[in-house]
Amino acid sequence: ETISALETYKQKDTSRVVVRFKAVGNAPIMKQNFYKITASNRFQTVIQFLRKELGWKAGDPLFTYINLAFSPAPDDMVSNLFRSFQTDGHLIVNYSTTAAWG
Amino acid sequence: MATYGRHEQVASAFSTPASTTLFRRLSWEGTVPIEIRVDSKELPANSDRGLECYFIQAPRVSYLPLLIPELKRFLVDVVFDEAAGKAVKEDEWWFESEDGVLMKWHWPIGVLYDNHTISASMKSRATFERQSMPLRLTLHLLSPPTDKLLLSPSAEACKQAFMGQMKEADFLRWGNTKRMTGLRKAEQDGIWEGVKEHNFDDYWRVSSKITPTTTPTRPHSPPPTSISAHSRPPSADGNAPDKDGAYNVRSVPVRMYLPDGPVLQDLAPPTIDDGSPTTLGSFLATHLPLLFTQGRAKAYALIQGVVCPYEAEMAWLGACMAGADGWVNIMVGIERH
Repeated sequence: ETISALETYKQKDTSRVVVRFKAVGNAPIMKQNFYKITASNRFQTVIQFLRKELGWKAGDPLFTYINLAFSPAPDDMVSNLFRSFQTDGHLIVNYSTTAAWG
Repeated sequence: MATYGRHEQVASAFSTPASTTLFRRLSWEGTVPIEIRVDSKELPANSDRGLECYFIQAPRVSYLPLLIPELKRFLVDVVFDEAAGKAVKEDEWWFESEDGVLMKWHWPIGVLYDNHTISASMKSRATFERQSMPLRLTLHLLSPPTDKLLLSPSAEACKQAFMGQMKEADFLRWGNTKRMTGLRKAEQDGIWEGVKEHNFDDYWRVSSKITPTTTPTRPHSPPPTSISAHSRPPSADGNAPDKDGAYNVRSVPVRMYLPDGPVLQDLAPPTIDDGSPTTLGSFLATHLPLLFTQGRAKAYALIQGVVCPYEAEMAWLGACMAGADGWVNIMVGIERH
């Protein structure tokens, strides 16, 4: 019974949450800013997705923040970040070419 | 009677500044045994194979990258020959446990240890005795799986990750990071130096400005000019609720680590609707009901290596038993019978 409880909690959350990308400073604004991201994805996946949407290469500087406040650990799950930091039903991810909040 | 925030509470032994300092020091001084062996396939030629195991009693609140300098000194001085010693590239180093689990650079050592111990206890069919078995790690000298590690092992990358976690915790508590960004650069660096040098006083000199306590601060109003025979001690001044105190945060920074499972994070308000403090038991019953509801509990909560009673208040845990980065890490274990 305990094992099945653990299995339940291990299941990947396949629901999707809304992420809202917001450009900071000189970073280009995208045509589309709201995206639905699978909740069980790591934040690293969001960063890679953003890089692809911006058309930037792996070496190009890209800094990301939540609510203009902090940079989450790349292996943190989107579901965790959404639950803790969502505003108006979406998770705000700011992006910039320079380290804004060092 | 002392009044904290919105609820009445008998001033208990756990609400004194001395008690706060005691538990913070106990958390800070906690250590775990680690046994490190270089992967025998990667040991450079001419290495002294008899000595390649390194034992260390590491602070729970520290991080693996901070152990690398002393480990490197040992390997270069004692194990490797001169040529290999010169060729050491510690930015390619990485660790895995004896179960093949990759050790993350940005997880506190205590979390890595408890995570492993709990996982091992689930696999073992024999009665698990909670002794301090060392965490046996294999040190690899090359080809780090960067896609999974996501960070370099440098102390600088570790510091960046650490400061990020402190800011996230600050934001969770207050909805802004004013307390962190309000620190002078020397103070911010001072927190990290405190972690790096494992110095309690240096760390808390600055961190006490960031980490709220459950003990009320002295009211800033001037003392009464007439001291009557019935004057009350400052801490009993009931009409100055501690707005910067642990009971007034939006959420205590907390994460739940499931055995071999996901790490969960959710809001942890310090008080419930009627103003009474949220307990660990009620928090776990809310977020992991299948494991922690009354009558079912075969699970237990390990915090800083200690099985925590369910009556512990979330606010108090945030004030006294968090890691150096401000996070209360609840390691969920399963009892075996």
